[in-house]
Amino acid sequence: MAWLVVLMKELKDASRDRRAIVSLMILPIIGPLLIYYMFNMIIDIGERALDVDLPVVGAEHAPDLVDYLRQAGVGIVGVEVPESASADVLALETELRGRITSREHDFVLVIPADFSQHVAESETVNVELLFDSSRTASNAKVGRVQGLIDGWARETTALRLMIRGIDPALIRPVVIGRIDVATSQARAQAVLSMIPMFVIMAAFMSGVGIAVDATAGERERKSLEPLLVNPVQCSRFVIGKWVAAALFSITGLLLVMMGNLYAMSMVPLEQLGVSFLIGPKEILGMLLVTVPVAFFATSLQIFVGLFAKSFKDAQVYIGLMSFLPMLPYFYNLMNTEGRELWMSFVPMLGQNMLLTDVLSGRPPALLDMALAVVALLFWSLVFIMLATRMLKRERIIFS
Amino acid sequence: MIRVENLVKSFGRIKAVDGVSFHARDGAITGLLGHNGAGKTTSLRVLYGLLKADAGNATIDGIDVQKSALAAQARIGVMTDAHGLYPRLTAREHIEYFARLRGIDRALVRLRSDTLINQLGMEDIADRRAEGYSQGQRMKVSLARSLVHDPQNVIMDEPTNGLDVMTTRSVRTILQGLKSANKCVLLSSHVMQEVSALCDEVIVISAGKVLYQGGLEQLLVHTGEQTLENAFVSMTTGTV
Repeated sequence: MAWLVVLMKELKDASRDRRAIVSLMILPIIGPLLIYYMFNMIIDIGERALDVDLPVVGAEHAPDLVDYLRQAGVGIVGVEVPESASADVLALETELRGRITSREHDFVLVIPADFSQHVAESETVNVELLFDSSRTASNAKVGRVQGLIDGWARETTALRLMIRGIDPALIRPVVIGRIDVATSQARAQAVLSMIPMFVIMAAFMSGVGIAVDATAGERERKSLEPLLVNPVQCSRFVIGKWVAAALFSITGLLLVMMGNLYAMSMVPLEQLGVSFLIGPKEILGMLLVTVPVAFFATSLQIFVGLFAKSFKDAQVYIGLMSFLPMLPYFYNLMNTEGRELWMSFVPMLGQNMLLTDVLSGRPPALLDMALAVVALLFWSLVFIMLATRMLKRERIIFS
Repeated sequence: MIRVENLVKSFGRIKAVDGVSFHARDGAITGLLGHNGAGKTTSLRVLYGLLKADAGNATIDGIDVQKSALAAQARIGVMTDAHGLYPRLTAREHIEYFARLRGIDRALVRLRSDTLINQLGMEDIADRRAEGYSQGQRMKVSLARSLVHDPQNVIMDEPTNGLDVMTTRSVRTILQGLKSANKCVLLSSHVMQEVSALCDEVIVISAGKVLYQGGLEQLLVHTGEQTLENAFVSMTTGTV
């Protein structure tokens, strides 16, 4: 049970190592805070669209419309324009364009002086809504104002028809009841899809301190030679160090998972129209998918760590490697081809797809799950065997 | 009993050890004497199983190191020339780690490490973390962890290099103790005083070849010199 002795020593050593503890704790603290903050931001954006302050030129010309807007909760802000501009339509437009460009207003509604007159005579009247569609933040507000003006127009149409004894239903065979929650919901989904990414990042980051210390650190301190003189097979040293790092990694991913779930339980998700239920089944699914990731990540780090002569070396190598777990995530974002069998064998790609399944409430296929786990464990063993070979090399032991 | 026969080891084009043969018997302290780069450390590394020899063989109590490294390693205690410690472990934890790796049970580990801590006068650092140890303190830990399993054969690479007088003395006492317990002790050194004060036999090694193995007295007779130092110099510079 020499590997167990190595494991216990590495755990004891790492528990006293600030570097190892920091790399374990950083993501469980930052991840949930980020998730919580982003969800609240989305809710904020959604709420802000509801109370709109609408700058209006010529509000006095259309008291009916203005009342209608006010009743719907829109704040009317009168816009003063110089005499010279108000006389001429083109000059007025130029003036208002300038104000939007200079960010004095995000959008302006222009009501012409003859508005009431046209309405009274049952004619069509033009109002102008000037806005800048490249300002995503105000698009929701513009949309709301537009919808309200349309609503007022429909009511007016209905009145005109009724006065003439015609049922307004005649010209509106279909009414679309539009409830637009798409924007916040889509954003919320995007944030949700970050959770598996955080968990996978945690698997890679939490064990790295101990993995590097047990390999490159051992070389840097010149403690490898005395250690290897002990009559213990090289593989036992590697396995002990690996399992120690993997335990840290698992701890980290559990902390991140719990932290994120806690953060989400603090967010009023129902306000976003997102139904996100994480029950014991989903947690179990996430664990089944991510725990092998911990073993995979740390086996890779142990292997790479042995190449490094010092902590500095290792930092560079592992830094270069750190974008690797992200590649499948991006591939998954771009992938429109659907799932194919070979994907389950690619480390991390299969995991990513499975996590997406689990989080969107689809129970993943058992075959996919099994393949992904087997593939990862296979690669882990490959790295552990390579690391064991490295540990027998004279160049590694003595330099 | 340690035996080396016709050992050859090259690093690239450099022949570090070129047909070295020597032995170290039980109940004696044998000194491997040579300049820096003479091939001492390379010979020892082959002996404790971390270097593969190109030719020749090395045995510990008759066990071939190249063929069954683990069995051979089980019969030796080694103080390597690197004394790397774990800065966050205490001296006692270092000693216990190596003992546990060798499968010694906890109660015995405790007993042995207490004895060694006492013998080497390490009480002050026994439960202090290794960060900030002096060179002497590091060497003591290194020595203690190489002896904790009470090995029949002890191999030491420059065991007193950089030690103060008091520590050197306690190391000597321990080595004498090993000798009288009929252990086989093989140490390398380039400090003549050390060797003449401690060793029953010397092996003079230079440029990868053994020039002499035998008793100290015979070496002086052989070279016609009064001191070991002069004998060593005249031998390695080839005037004999």
